[in-house]
Amino acid sequence: MGFYHFLSLGIILFAIGVVGFVIRNNTIVLLLSVELMLNSVNLIFVAFSRYLYGTEGQIYVFIIMTIAAAEVAVGLAIVVSIYRLFGTLDISKIKLLKG
Amino acid sequence: MIEQAVFWMLGAVMIVGALGVILLPNTINSVMLLLLSMLALAGIYVLMGAHVVALFQIIIYIGAVLVLFIYVIMLLNLKEQGLKLPMQTFTYIISGFSLGLLVVVVWLFWQSLWGTTFTGGAGNLKASATVHQLAVDLFSQHILIFELTSVLLLVAAIGAIIISKK
Repeated sequence: MGFYHFLSLGIILFAIGVVGFVIRNNTIVLLLSVELMLNSVNLIFVAFSRYLYGTEGQIYVFIIMTIAAAEVAVGLAIVVSIYRLFGTLDISKIKLLKG
Repeated sequence: MIEQAVFWMLGAVMIVGALGVILLPNTINSVMLLLLSMLALAGIYVLMGAHVVALFQIIIYIGAVLVLFIYVIMLLNLKEQGLKLPMQTFTYIISGFSLGLLVVVVWLFWQSLWGTTFTGGAGNLKASATVHQLAVDLFSQHILIFELTSVLLLVAAIGAIIISKK
């Protein structure tokens, strides 16, 4: 169990997050996929911090967690107002901007 | 030995949870499986010796972020929608593009890290950074980004209130 195991786990999780962001059309699941990607980046940061003996990786993880919390607050507010406006969360049905 | 077993179990739980997040039709099940995946990630942090990060993972992600998700799902009273995937040409193009990006990222990691020996194997796990060391670094070198993050949180809270106001 070395550094590469944690790195591979992080890359696999990031790929799952990207695929989920692309193939789903529920807005809340899109936000969950973004959370998955942020988590995988956190995992890679902590792995580097652990195997290079530094504190910077963990400090950046704290900052990323704070930004994720802020992003979720704003994103869920947008989701609530989208639901109020359209009555659905299906992003393939939300097309006010179709020109 | 036991660390390896714990790593593989937690990794399997994490990947299965993540796959469930993107493949289950009902949104509340996705959130619950993301919770499982994040708990496994906290276990992996503990395995790596980053105890503070594991605690923050549980407190911030599970205690704040996922509870917010569950609250919104409960407030909107979302019905089960069924899993319909928007398989259009655009989706295939984007999927192929992200797959290519993944291959490039893996290749870059491989190129830059291959042959590098990282000291500190699994056998001699110690706390990678003590809480004291972490706090000193956070409040001396990185004090500026710490303060900027607090301002960002304030702005996000006000913005969320204004956006969701009728």
